[in-house]
Amino acid sequence: MKSYIARRLGYSMISILLLSVTIFMFVRLTGDPTTLLVEPGASQSEIEAIREQLGLDRPIWVQYATFMANLSMGDFGQSFYYRMPVSELYLSRLPNSLLLAACAMIFSLVIGIPSGVLAAVRVGRFWDKAGKVFALLGLSMPAFWVGLVMILFFSVFLEWLPSSGSGTVLHIIMPAFALGWYFAAAHMRLTRSSMLEVLGSEYVKLARLKGLPEAIVIAKHALKNAVIPVLTLAGINLVVMVNVAVVVETVFAWPGIGRLLYEGIAFRDFPVVQGVVILGGGMIVFVNLLIDILYAVIDPRIRLER
Amino acid sequence: MSRYRYSHGQRLLAAVLAFGLAILAPASLDAAKPEGQLTYAVHVTLAPTWFDPAETAGIITPFMVMYALHDALVKPMPEKLLSPSLAESWSVSEDGMVYEFVLRPGTKFHNGEPVTAEDVKFSFERYRGASAGLMKERVASVETPDARHVRFLMKAPWPDFLTFYATASGAGWIVPKAYVEKVGEDKYKKAPIGAGPYKFVSFAPGVELVFEANEQYWRKVPSVKRLVFKVIPDEATRLAALKRGEVDIAYSIRGELGEELMRTPGLTLKPVVLQASSWLYFPDQWDTKSPWHDQRVRNAASLAVNRPGMNEAITLGHSLITGSIIPDSFEFFWQPPAPVHDPARAKKLLAEAGFPNGFDGGDFYCDASNTPFCEAILDGLRSAGIRVTLRPIERAAFSKGYSDKKFKNLIYGASGAFGNAATRLEAFVVKDGAYAYGSYPDIDALQSRQAAELNQTQRVALLHKMQQIVHERTIYAPIWQLGFLNGVGPRVGQSGFGLISRFPYTAPYEDVTLKAK
Amino acid sequence: MVMRTESAAVPTRFAFIRFADFPVIPALILAGIGFVAVFANQLAPYDPEIGSLQLRFKPPAWQEGGSMAFLLGTDHVGRDVLSRLIFGARVSVIVGFTAVMVAGVMGTTLGIVSGYLGGWVDMVIMRLTDAWLALPALTFAIFLAAIVGPSELNIIIILGAVYWTRYARVIRGEVLSLKEREFVRLAIVAGCSKGTIMRRHILPNVINSAIVLGTLMLGVVVVTEASLSFLGVGVPPPKPAWGLMLADGKKGMMVGYWWLTVLPGCCIMLMVLSANLLGDWLRDKLDPQLRQL
Repeated sequence: MKSYIARRLGYSMISILLLSVTIFMFVRLTGDPTTLLVEPGASQSEIEAIREQLGLDRPIWVQYATFMANLSMGDFGQSFYYRMPVSELYLSRLPNSLLLAACAMIFSLVIGIPSGVLAAVRVGRFWDKAGKVFALLGLSMPAFWVGLVMILFFSVFLEWLPSSGSGTVLHIIMPAFALGWYFAAAHMRLTRSSMLEVLGSEYVKLARLKGLPEAIVIAKHALKNAVIPVLTLAGINLVVMVNVAVVVETVFAWPGIGRLLYEGIAFRDFPVVQGVVILGGGMIVFVNLLIDILYAVIDPRIRLER
Repeated sequence: MSRYRYSHGQRLLAAVLAFGLAILAPASLDAAKPEGQLTYAVHVTLAPTWFDPAETAGIITPFMVMYALHDALVKPMPEKLLSPSLAESWSVSEDGMVYEFVLRPGTKFHNGEPVTAEDVKFSFERYRGASAGLMKERVASVETPDARHVRFLMKAPWPDFLTFYATASGAGWIVPKAYVEKVGEDKYKKAPIGAGPYKFVSFAPGVELVFEANEQYWRKVPSVKRLVFKVIPDEATRLAALKRGEVDIAYSIRGELGEELMRTPGLTLKPVVLQASSWLYFPDQWDTKSPWHDQRVRNAASLAVNRPGMNEAITLGHSLITGSIIPDSFEFFWQPPAPVHDPARAKKLLAEAGFPNGFDGGDFYCDASNTPFCEAILDGLRSAGIRVTLRPIERAAFSKGYSDKKFKNLIYGASGAFGNAATRLEAFVVKDGAYAYGSYPDIDALQSRQAAELNQTQRVALLHKMQQIVHERTIYAPIWQLGFLNGVGPRVGQSGFGLISRFPYTAPYEDVTLKAK
Repeated sequence: MVMRTESAAVPTRFAFIRFADFPVIPALILAGIGFVAVFANQLAPYDPEIGSLQLRFKPPAWQEGGSMAFLLGTDHVGRDVLSRLIFGARVSVIVGFTAVMVAGVMGTTLGIVSGYLGGWVDMVIMRLTDAWLALPALTFAIFLAAIVGPSELNIIIILGAVYWTRYARVIRGEVLSLKEREFVRLAIVAGCSKGTIMRRHILPNVINSAIVLGTLMLGVVVVTEASLSFLGVGVPPPKPAWGLMLADGKKGMMVGYWWLTVLPGCCIMLMVLSANLLGDWLRDKLDPQLRQL
């Protein structure tokens, strides 16, 4: 077991390392941030001065080595645009992102699990189709569109909810729903298929034979077991949500990580982009590692695989 | 006895009050105490570098913050472009070598320290923004004979000094020397202190900025207690927030959203013409094999663009259609005839140039944020037979491509850089200009002559001549000075839009008011 | 993938499919979109890229102020919305299908190679996949768009480059179990080269999964394309792409120009929903193992 964990940990480190190299090279391929920091017509010496100030005049491998050395001490560098430590920026946005992801997850599960259960219990019938279509709708419409329609309807027309920003419970409803609906389909699908699997299993058949009412069989015996893989997926998706909310955050002016990253790219703020991507990627790799280990604990055969 | 004293005190008080009222009359009538909160929906991402005048890039956006937080010796104000502010007066020596400023008495920074000549010198020397190179090149030294007098000594006569010092850079904006030195550069951006009408309260990077009125401000006590700037990147969301009353002023509401704004009761559209011009550029005009080499083709392109239509559609008629790449407010500006929209003549010119069926003009490059304008331009060009393909490029890559001279065929360019006609021509027209893909010898010759010319009238004539050639040769097809459309909500009294000529934001902030309840 | 049970062996032929609950409507919708895409030139009344500023924001024919000349109204440059929707089908189909193909071919190949060869090859490919997956897809796409600049072709390449990892993961998992099966062992004994085995024996057995994944990815790709347009790095205007129309029209929504967003939005929704429903059905029939996608 120990050697398995050690091996998985090693793999994760390699992935992160690869990610760091990839992102480091990528940001530098997107262009020179100095052109954005000076105005058209700036002299060459001015540009050089800024490049030197930002440390961009050094050979790229030196830059990378410095970056990794600082990173190993937990220092992600200074933002070019905000002129403050990336970690500070990240931490100031993280609570917002986590809050949004958590609320979105609640919406997503509230839509996904019931529609999945309905679909599994009524295979091929109306509720199967209706549940499926509703969950899939979220996947089928670009989040920015859902968001704008909601702003138009709930903020401008009904005047129930604030259009944008953060601060109160009311602020979070629309962005969380727009984000959560998108993920609902995945949760619906998994609930449905794992419900189908559990409903076909021996002990559910046994429960039915005992003459228990169908509702109790489904709620107590089937759902309890079927929901485990769904919650596992939800765990992964929670992390994914933190990192993919760019569009929703832009529409609702929600101050999260996604927008920090998007603006980082737009401003060519290399340290911000590197920091956000590596931290986000690290989170995903870490969650995957946890899940792998968890499965290995449950199922010893896996330890021998790979 | 006590009674007598009391009445004596009363009389004294009355006298003092009367005297006080006499001096403070305008201020106390405006608002004795700042009240209420005004919220802005801002279209750009606020950066801490804007809190520090020393970092001012040569663009207008930082001034949105600087007019609140800081003050300058001399700055553009509603009254005039060069308005005395922290300086009450200035003089230039006869040989043009020395500029002397006299500081206004009694002005204070937010921490209560007085503004002194030392601060002015310190701020100037600390300035490292866009014009820092130019300043170092031309200014020999700064002297502070006493706390209220500052002298700038030139290396050679520099008639444009005030233009750059007071209007086109952040060099003339004053920071407190003692405070900056005490807290250090990085801390200063976190808790900036200035001499402006508003004090810094808090800043969440990229999210929200809060200011509070500085009741000690010399010009007048601001009327609004708190200013809150919220970053809302999406235009439609900004309008929604304004409609709901979540914000009072929303920047940049274009096109159909602007129309909706005008239709909404209680909201007002406040257009401002920017000191930034946009144009079509023909980088291939020096390539004899290119169709763009033929001036008739360039003329045809210019004639094909439906500027009034674009103006109506996108900026509701509030842009300034122009025939020059130089903003009309710049010094040495020469007014060319207004461009015309005439698709029939465009087709005729193309036919004369040997393209009766039009031609494939290749790629048309633009900054992605200008795509809506370029779509409209493209439409005009195509209907005249100039078939080009739009290549919207993300801003950073666009500026790099433009200045690296990588683009061909057609470019939609724009510049909001400060300066005057001479600096604009230098960058965009003259040989080796940062954005000039080629040049004409006669213009280059005029450029070197005007740079050496000390006689102002002569210089103006030369610069006008250059602009005339640029126009006659259709080196550019200028489009417009963009109208910047903003929305103002029902609670706002004086929004401050348009008070300072060609300034896009609400300023001066101390003049901004809320309506009385 | 780890919870594979014996009872769910992978069927390899389409003959096993029951067509009883075939999703007829989604299939018809997709076929319709395909038809429109192919015959766009014949169907569209106007040039989708040329308009006239005087004719901007004309509402659909049945609304007040609309005219039969522009059945579905005009957009912010005065272009005919119907024509743009028709040509937009072509762009969406081309971008969607080609991007899915690019991702599918890359991912499947790498998945097979990785799973079958194992060892350091597997190690390298899988770590790369992990690193790739750790980068949010949309972010990654924005990056690539910033590097190569937007054009229809580049968007296809970008989407392909972003989404191949999903195929690689799934296909590799399939291959791992396939290579223990009788017929593969027999092929090895018979002296087939590794290349032949991968091509002749493994590939036909994973193609089902690839197809199912493809139908599901089609939706993801089309929505991502629209989101890229919203962020300003999608298919460049004036190309009539649905995502771009949606992003362009979003401003008009607040003003009451509903047709500019509702119509392309519905087109996207119909296409993606149909592709997903069809994909769900295919997966249930062909390959129940892929349920987590």
